[in-house]
Amino acid sequence: MNAIIHLALKDLLLLWRDKAAMFWVLIFPLIMALFFGSIFSGGGKTAAMSIAVIDDDQSKNSQTFSQELKNSDALKVVTLPLDTARNLVRKGDLTAYVLIKKGYGETNFFYSDSAAGIEIGIDPARKAEAGYLQGLITQASFKPMQETFTKPDQAKEMIDQQMSGLTDEVVAKNPKLGHLKNMFSNLDKFMGEVDAASLNANSPMQGPNIEMVEVSTIAERPKSSWEITFPQALLWALVGCASSFAVSMVVERTRGTFLRLRLAPISKMQILAGKGLACFIACVTVMAVLLTIGITIFGVRISNPLILAAAVLSSAICFVGIMMAASVLGKTEQAVGGGSMAILLIFSMTGGGMIPLLFMPSWMQKVSNISPAKWSILASEGAIWRGFSYSEMLLPLGVLVSIGIVGFTIGVTILSKADG
Amino acid sequence: MQLNLHGFVLLPETLKLNAVDKFKAESNFPIMITAQNLVKRYGNITAVNDISFELHKGETFGLLGPNGAGKTTTINMMVGVLKPDSGAITLNGSADPTQPEVRRQLGNAPQSLALYEELTAEENLKFFGKMYDLAGKKLSERVQWALEFAGLIDRRKSRVSAYSGGMKRRLNLACALVHDPPVLLLDEPTVGVDPQSRNAIFDSIEKLIQEGRTIVYTTHYMEEAQRLCDRVAIMDHGKILALDTVDKLIESHGGLSVIEGVLSAPPKESANLPGVIKGTYFRQETNRPLEAVAKLAASGCEFVTLNIHKADLEMVFLNLTGRSLRD
Repeated sequence: MNAIIHLALKDLLLLWRDKAAMFWVLIFPLIMALFFGSIFSGGGKTAAMSIAVIDDDQSKNSQTFSQELKNSDALKVVTLPLDTARNLVRKGDLTAYVLIKKGYGETNFFYSDSAAGIEIGIDPARKAEAGYLQGLITQASFKPMQETFTKPDQAKEMIDQQMSGLTDEVVAKNPKLGHLKNMFSNLDKFMGEVDAASLNANSPMQGPNIEMVEVSTIAERPKSSWEITFPQALLWALVGCASSFAVSMVVERTRGTFLRLRLAPISKMQILAGKGLACFIACVTVMAVLLTIGITIFGVRISNPLILAAAVLSSAICFVGIMMAASVLGKTEQAVGGGSMAILLIFSMTGGGMIPLLFMPSWMQKVSNISPAKWSILASEGAIWRGFSYSEMLLPLGVLVSIGIVGFTIGVTILSKADG
Repeated sequence: MQLNLHGFVLLPETLKLNAVDKFKAESNFPIMITAQNLVKRYGNITAVNDISFELHKGETFGLLGPNGAGKTTTINMMVGVLKPDSGAITLNGSADPTQPEVRRQLGNAPQSLALYEELTAEENLKFFGKMYDLAGKKLSERVQWALEFAGLIDRRKSRVSAYSGGMKRRLNLACALVHDPPVLLLDEPTVGVDPQSRNAIFDSIEKLIQEGRTIVYTTHYMEEAQRLCDRVAIMDHGKILALDTVDKLIESHGGLSVIEGVLSAPPKESANLPGVIKGTYFRQETNRPLEAVAKLAASGCEFVTLNIHKADLEMVFLNLTGRSLRD
């Protein structure tokens, strides 16, 4: 056992001193996680929509409305002249502009024959964002009225104002407005009798009672793009480790160190076990480093540390097996390096290492079942955001360990039969 | 006067005597390695074709032959890395060279530089020492010894990738010795090194010979075999063409030495002198070249130029195969 440990330590030291290999094993996966994590999420948070607000009305209502828009987390609001705002939208620098037209403050919430008080200018290609913006504007425009009904004095004032407009003459012209006049009359009576404090506390005008519940630990969707890209980074680290160690196996053979080791009083199996142990330790260590970065800096959640540990260990076993099988793909560094990278890249691309399986068509998701990369990512995601139970983890873990055993057996069998 | 001596290998006198004395006493030394009818084929190519030999303890045995003669294959079969298709190897009484206890007695310096380039000399030696179960003080002592042997004490902390070719060769040899093996297999240990490093390696090997280690030395340089080996097996196309001491090989297969030169004046009585004399030019083939030169000098001849071409292993190989070692 001592010989196996010394062999493994030697290989780990060689890996540590090989700057190019360290790049592919650790730095490249991290870059992949950060790069794709950033472009998918804009830094982990949903980007605010940039809009310009032009307040031509300058009334109390228009200012309240404008302020409501500025208060929204979903919007980044700037105040600009209309022409400038229009140009910026045309160029794509702004998502939209919102023009509060003159007379907006005089607009009657309940009946009005005036033109629309708000104009939204948006690129017609951005329909989804237009709908989202319309919702935010509607929410902001109703805010002043909502606040009015939580204050009886202001509400009565507003009702009186509405009632004054509903003269007998107006109602005679449009009999339906008589029902509205009756409603205001009753509402005025209600506002005169209601206790202001209780209204503030329980008013239906407060809107529905919303309770926020933290569901992150049982959510079946990633909280951020980092939770997708870090499992992918773990896979790239495994690919780097497997490829590096497969090449190191053939380097040992071509340089003669394998022959020297074979002349030592240790078995061929011990030599191969030492290489496998080194690859295993490297895989686990690099995955641990990447996970630590993901958890501490990018807020990647871990649903169950034990399940994560099982995912890491079984993924490492799988890729040690792949390394051992890849190391017999050829007799030169070029053959093994090229062959192993080609195979591992195909595994990675079909298994969700490049494009997350989440976004792949269903037939591709079925094809990915043959890729060890898919099972490795699934196991990591199961422990990170999918919230897999122990029984749900059995399949990916079993597949990974099986692939590892088969690969190791193939590699060791061929190497054991080979002379030299 | 111009004097050229061809084929003479100048050995340290004591060493030459040691080698000769040792070989004279050969029959008293126990047999260390026996190879019997070894055959190894790669497809249609027979790399080693029915060779047999015995090595005595403390003997330096040379396998001399051109590239592809089967020397490395023979060594690899001797240490159990390659399994012969037929025939048998016995190493210090054991028929299985892969046994750990047998392996401990072997040190191998392969032809390729079997070193970890990104480790230092000290780290390489320590690692290979650990592979032979060395640890603690014993390991430190052996590593120190090996570093001194290789002349790398000052560069012990430098990575091998920064070494010259000669330094790497010396370290390659030191790694084979770190566990202090009684049997040493040196496969072309001077390939690709400059003359200065080559001499340093020769000096190191001569020390090992004096320590009484059994050495199998493969080379395609006849000067090395002639300088270092007690007995030499001349190999070509997987076969041993001749096996004996260097002197006996030369005597049997090397032909006569040739003396030729120009005299200051034609001798007065050339009829009594050996060889061919035409005017001032003379030429003689003899198995005792120095005696012939002495005889010419005693007869009053004065030399303007004198060339002595002594038969050597190159000539032996030429006579045995019809081609040069370096063809």
